[in-house]
Amino acid sequence: MRWLLSFTVAFVCTVVVQAKSFTGNRLLVVLEEQAEREKYSVFLEDLTSRGFTTNVESPKADKLSLLRHGERAYDHVLLLPAKSKGLGPALTANNLLEFMKKEGNILVALSSEQATPTAVQALLLELDINIPSDKGALVVDHFNYDSSSASEQHDVLLLPFPAAVRPDVKNYFAGEGYIAVPRAVGQSLGNESPLISPVLRAPSTAYSYNPKDEAEGVEDPFAVGEQLNLVSAMQANNAARFAIVGSAEMLQNKWFAEKATLGEKVITTANREFAQKLSEWTFKETGVLKVGKFLHYQDEGASKKLNTSLAIPENNPTIYRIKTDVHFQVEISEYTNDHLAPFVPSPSDNIQLEFSMLSPFQRLNLSPIAQTANATIFGVAFKTPDQHGIFNFRLNYRRPFLTNVDEKRQVTVRHFAHDEWPRSWQISGAWVWIGGIWVTVLGWVAFVAVWLYSAPSERSVKKTQ
Amino acid sequence: MPPKQRTGTASAPSTSASRPSKSSSNAQAQDILQGVWNKYVSKTPQRTKLLDTFMAFLVAVGALQFLYVVLVGNFPFNAFLSGFSATVGQFVLTASLRMQTNAENKAEFESISHERAFADFVFGSLLLHFFCVNFIN
Repeated sequence: MRWLLSFTVAFVCTVVVQAKSFTGNRLLVVLEEQAEREKYSVFLEDLTSRGFTTNVESPKADKLSLLRHGERAYDHVLLLPAKSKGLGPALTANNLLEFMKKEGNILVALSSEQATPTAVQALLLELDINIPSDKGALVVDHFNYDSSSASEQHDVLLLPFPAAVRPDVKNYFAGEGYIAVPRAVGQSLGNESPLISPVLRAPSTAYSYNPKDEAEGVEDPFAVGEQLNLVSAMQANNAARFAIVGSAEMLQNKWFAEKATLGEKVITTANREFAQKLSEWTFKETGVLKVGKFLHYQDEGASKKLNTSLAIPENNPTIYRIKTDVHFQVEISEYTNDHLAPFVPSPSDNIQLEFSMLSPFQRLNLSPIAQTANATIFGVAFKTPDQHGIFNFRLNYRRPFLTNVDEKRQVTVRHFAHDEWPRSWQISGAWVWIGGIWVTVLGWVAFVAVWLYSAPSERSVKKTQ
Repeated sequence: MPPKQRTGTASAPSTSASRPSKSSSNAQAQDILQGVWNKYVSKTPQRTKLLDTFMAFLVAVGALQFLYVVLVGNFPFNAFLSGFSATVGQFVLTASLRMQTNAENKAEFESISHERAFADFVFGSLLLHFFCVNFIN
C-alpha cells in the first residue's frame, strides 16, 4: 500500500510541477547586490532551464524567511558571497540548520575577496568543515595554474574533473576537461564526521596562503596539498545536502568557457559542466535512492529459485519458523535528473540485507535478479537461523553522495511446533534402535507364546508342590 | 652356547611337570561346569529355562545396541534411549517374573499365584512397549 501511495504521489508531483529535483523546485538565491546577478546569469539560467523557479533575494529583504509556518518556504538555497559581514536575521546559522533539518539543500559559494559571513562561519563550524579564519586567504599552486590569467599570482588553479572518492563509490562529478578554480578559499574537513566528503581536492602541490601577509615565506599554512578541498559536500542523516564551493568565481559566466593556458597547452575551462554536476547533486537531481517493493516470503515449493515475477504483492508474512528457507527481494531506484532509473551500485560495492535480532544473525550481499523500467530488483535467499525471537529484515545502505536507505520489517521467528519434527523412521540413524525395540517386542511375543504352550502338566505341578 | 643349552634342559622338566597339573585343573573346572550344567538341565523346570533363554536374548540385544552407540554415535539420542531401555526394562520385568515363579522362592510369594505373576508381567511389558514406541516417535 505504501509503495502504491508513493508512486501515486510521485506521479501527481511530476504532472503538476514538472520539477527535475526529487524534492522540489523552489530555489532561493541569496545575493546582496542585484547588479552582481549578471555575473551569475548563465548559471542561474541553467538552473531555471532545469525546472527550478529561482527567487533572487537580498539577505536584508524584510519578508525573507527560509521557513514558513514551520515548513520550509524553499526547497533549495544558493548562498552567493556578500559584501557585508552579516547575513541578517533571516539567515543565521541556526536558521540554516533548521532549514536542513526540514530536508532543505544548501549550496554555499565563498570568495577570498569578501569576508565569509559569520552565519556561514558558524554553520561550517557546526558541520566540522574548517576554513581559514583570516580574510583574503586563497589557494595557490605553482604547478597547476592558469598562466594566461594568473602568471604572477598562480592563484587560478586548473584541475581535471575529480575521480571517485573511493573505488566503491559512484562518481557524480565526472567529466571531460579542466575546471578553473580562481582564488579559492580552501576547506579542510574534520575527521570525526562521516557525513562530509570532499568533492574537488586541491592538487598535492597546492597550499593556502594569504597575499596580505607581509612575511617572505609561508609559515604554518592553514592546510597544504590534498588536505585542502576546493569543493566539499555534506549529506545529513535526513539526506539534506550541503555543498560548499571555495571560489564563487567558478560559477560566474566569466569562467564558464574561458580560454586558459595550463603549462604550454591552451584549453577551454569546463566550469559550466562542473557547476551543473555540482548543483544537480546538491539540489537532489542525482544520487537519490528510492526503495520500492520490500518483499520477503517463505520458500515452500520444490523450486528453490528466487521468484522474479513482478506480480507478487507485498503481503509479507509476519511469522517464520526457525530453519526455514526465506526469500527476500527489494526494488531500488535511483533518481537521475528527471526520472527514476534502475539503481546499479558500483561494481566493487554490495547492498546488504541484515536479518537481525539486536545484532545481525545474517548479513548477506544482495544480487540483482531483475530490472523493471525504473528499478532494479535485488534479492537473496537464506535460511532463518536456529534461534527464535523477534527479528528484523533490515536494509541499511549508506554511501557518500547517495541518499541513505534504512528500511526495516519486523517478523517473528518461532521454534518448531511439536508436529513439525521429523518422525523417527525419517532419520536413518534411528533405524538400529527402532529395530532393537521391535526385536524386543517380537521376542517377548514369542516368549509369551512358548510360555503358555509349555504350561506344566497337572502331575508335574503336583510334583513341584 | 652352553647357557642356552642349560636353560633348555632346565625348562624342559618344569614344563613337562606343569602340563599334567594344568590339564588336571582344566579337567576339574570342566567337570565342575559340566556338573553345574547337568544339574541345571536336569533339575530346572522347563519354564525357568525358558525365562533364562529370554533373558539371555535380551542381554544380547541390549549389548548390540550399546555397542552400536559406542561405535557409531548417539544421534538421535531419544531413539537410543528408548531402544536400549526397552531391553533393560524387559529384562527387569522378566527377572521379576522369574523370582515370583521360582519354586524355591515359594515361601516369600505365598500370596501370588503363578498366573497372577504372569498377568502382571504381561501388563507391565505392554506398558513398557507402549512407552518405548511413543518415546522413539
